[in-house]
Amino acid sequence: MLLVFCIYPAVRDVARSATTPDNVITLRFWNGFTGPDGRTILRIVQKFSKENPDIHIIMQKMPWDQYYNKLFVAGVAGRCPEVFVIHSHTLPRFIGTKFVRQIDDLVGGPNQIDPSDFDPNVWAAMEHAGHHWAIPLDVHPLGMYYNRTLFRQAGIVDAHGDPKPPTNRAEFLDDLRRLKKPARDGHPDQWGFAFTWERTNTYAILRQYGGTLFNDSLTRSTLASPPSISAIQWCADLILKDKLVPSAADFDSWIGFRQGRIGMVFEGIYNLSDLQRQTDLDWGAAPMPLLGDQPATWAASHSLALRSDLNGKQLEAATRFIKFLSDNSLDWAEGGQVPVRRSLRNSDRFRAMYAQSEFAKQIPYVRYFPATPFVFEFLAEYDTAVELALRGSATPQDALTHAAGRIDAVIDRYRREGWEISR
Amino acid sequence: MKSRSRRIDFTGYLFLLPYIILFTFFLILPLAYGLWLSFMRYELTSPEAAGSHPATFVGLANYREALADSWFRQSFFATLRFVGMTCPATLILSLLIALAISTIPDRRQQIYRLAIFLPTMITISVAGLVWRWFYAPEFGVFNAFLAHFGVKIPWLTDTHWAMKSIVIMTLWWTVGGPVIILLAGIRQIPDAYYEAAAIDGAVGWRRTFHITLPSLRPVLLFVVVLNVIGAFQVFGQPYVITTGLPERSTEVLLMYIYDVSFNNFRLGYGAAMSWILFLVIAIFSLIQFRLLREK
Repeated sequence: MLLVFCIYPAVRDVARSATTPDNVITLRFWNGFTGPDGRTILRIVQKFSKENPDIHIIMQKMPWDQYYNKLFVAGVAGRCPEVFVIHSHTLPRFIGTKFVRQIDDLVGGPNQIDPSDFDPNVWAAMEHAGHHWAIPLDVHPLGMYYNRTLFRQAGIVDAHGDPKPPTNRAEFLDDLRRLKKPARDGHPDQWGFAFTWERTNTYAILRQYGGTLFNDSLTRSTLASPPSISAIQWCADLILKDKLVPSAADFDSWIGFRQGRIGMVFEGIYNLSDLQRQTDLDWGAAPMPLLGDQPATWAASHSLALRSDLNGKQLEAATRFIKFLSDNSLDWAEGGQVPVRRSLRNSDRFRAMYAQSEFAKQIPYVRYFPATPFVFEFLAEYDTAVELALRGSATPQDALTHAAGRIDAVIDRYRREGWEISR
Repeated sequence: MKSRSRRIDFTGYLFLLPYIILFTFFLILPLAYGLWLSFMRYELTSPEAAGSHPATFVGLANYREALADSWFRQSFFATLRFVGMTCPATLILSLLIALAISTIPDRRQQIYRLAIFLPTMITISVAGLVWRWFYAPEFGVFNAFLAHFGVKIPWLTDTHWAMKSIVIMTLWWTVGGPVIILLAGIRQIPDAYYEAAAIDGAVGWRRTFHITLPSLRPVLLFVVVLNVIGAFQVFGQPYVITTGLPERSTEVLLMYIYDVSFNNFRLGYGAAMSWILFLVIAIFSLIQFRLLREK
C-alpha cells in the first residue's frame, strides 16, 4: 500500500503530461528512414510541429526489410497509421487490401498540391486503377559515383585534365581495362567497376537493353525475353568471361569503392551521406553511362500515403502534414535525395547540391520496378536468378527462364485469389 | 479408503493444472490450429481476405504444392546438410570436451565449465552479428589472421563455405549445453566400475570405451535427440549471418517457412510446410530412440 501511495502521484503526473489536449489532433507517421535520413526527417517533423501546434505527430521508424510486414499486419488488424511512407512499386499491394486512401480530391485545387509541379513519369507512378494514391516525396535514382583520383592516375581525363566519367559502353569498357590493376607489392587489387546491389544495377542495364519484366497487362513475366537475357549475359560476361569486374563473392563493393580500390560504382543517391562524411576520397557523381541501346536507370520514390478511412479533422491535419513535407522536400534532399517538385529543383539551393543535381538529370528516363501486388515475391525470384547468373552457377538463359516460370505461377495464384493484376 | 484415494488423485491433477493449461493453450491448440490451417487457403494479402479473412478448404493442395516447390526442396536439403554436419560434430566435440574437463579436479572444473557454457548465454542476434564481422571478407578477424599466410577464405560468400561457416559458429554457440549434460552423466558413473576395471587391467582409452561411453548411453541418446531436433529447427544463425545467401544455399526450411508465412502472408502454405518439418523431426527422433535405446 505504501508503495502504491508513493508511486501513484508520479504515475498520475506522467500520464497527464503524455495526454494531448482535446483540440490537438494526433497523427501516427510510419516510415523506414532508419539511416542518416532518419535525422533529416525528424528535423522536418520537428519544424512542422513547431509551426502547427494543433497537430501532434508520433513518428515511428523501422528498417525497410521489416517495415512492410509490420505495416501490413497493422493494416490487417485495423491499426494502420494515419500517414505512412511506401515505395510506388508496393502501392497495388496496399491498395488491393484497402489500406490506402485515394487522394484525387486532395490535389490540384487552391492551396493544394499542384500535380503539374511534378515530373509526369514520377506522378504517373502513383496512379493505379484510374486514381491517385500517394504524394511522391522524392525520387532516388541509381547513378554513377567515380573515384577522381583513380581516373586521373589512369589518364582518363578531359581536355582540361579533369577526370572524365564514361558516357557510353565503349568508354565504360575502355575505362575498366585502364583502371584494373592486379594486387602487387602489398597493394590490394584495383578494379574499374564492381556491382554493388545486383538487383538495381542489373535492372538498370536490363532496361537500357530494352528488357522488361512483365508484359503490358502484367499477366506474364518477360524476364526470359531476348533483350533481358542479353543484358544479364553482358553483366555476367564482365565478371566471368572478360574478367573486368570482380565477383561479388570476393568483394564488398561499396566498401571497396570507399577504400579507393574501385573506380566506379552504380549506387543510389541515398548512399551520398557516406561519401559526404568521408574526407579522404576524391569522388565524383554522374548519370549512368549508356551501356545498352536506350537511356534508363532504376529509381524508386518514397511516397506519402494516407489511411483509407481518414476523414474530418484527421484528414485535414494529415493533408496539411503531407503538403508540408512535400513543400519542404529540399530539406529532405540535403540528406541524399532528389526532390520531385520541379519548382524546388529549379532553385539555386538545389543547383548547389552537386551529386543530387547530377543524378536528377536522369529523371526523364528513370524506370521504377513494375507496381504489382506480388512485388516481393517477384523481387525474390529476380534476385536469385541474377545472383545465379552473375556467379556462373547457371546460364542467364536458364536462371531467368526458371525465375520467369515461378513468377508466372505467382501471377496465376494472385489472379485465382481475386486480384486485379492489370494496370 | 476409496474416497481418500480419489481425493489424492484430484490434488495431483490440481498441481498439474497450471502446466496443463499452459500446455494446452500454447502448444496443443496452436498445433491443432496449424494442422487445420495447413488444409486451408488462408492468404492475408488476398483482397477477399481484407477485413474478414475467410479461409477456404483446399485439402492436400498445400502439401502437394510444397512437394513440387523447388525452393522448398532446396531449403529442406539445406536443413539436412546443416543437421548432417552439426549433429555429429556437436556430439563428438562435446564428448571430447566433457571427457577432458572430467579429468580436471573439481575446484578448477568450474572455470572450464563456465567458459564453455558462456557462449550459449549470448542471444543469437548478438552472436550472429559478431560472427558476421568475424567472417567479413575485408575486415574480418579470421581473414586478417589468414592474410599472414597468404590465404583468404570466402567464408560467407561461397556456396561451399557458407554452410560450413554457419556450422562452425553454431558449434561455438551451442556446444556448452551438451558438455554440461554429458559432464553430469559422467559424474553419475559409479567409481566402483573404474576400480573394478583397473583391477582387470583396463586403463586410459579402454576405460573410456568400455565403461564411460556405455554408461553414458541414455545421456547420449538425450543429447543426440535434443541436438537433432534443435538442428532441424535452425533459423537464427543463417537468418542473421547470411540471410540465406549465397544462391539460397543457406536458406534453411524455417527461413523459407518464415518468408512464405510472414513476408508473403500465405499462412496455409506455411502451416503445411511446418507440419512436414514436424513429421520429419518426429520420424528422425523415433529412429534415434530405436537405434540408441538401452538393450
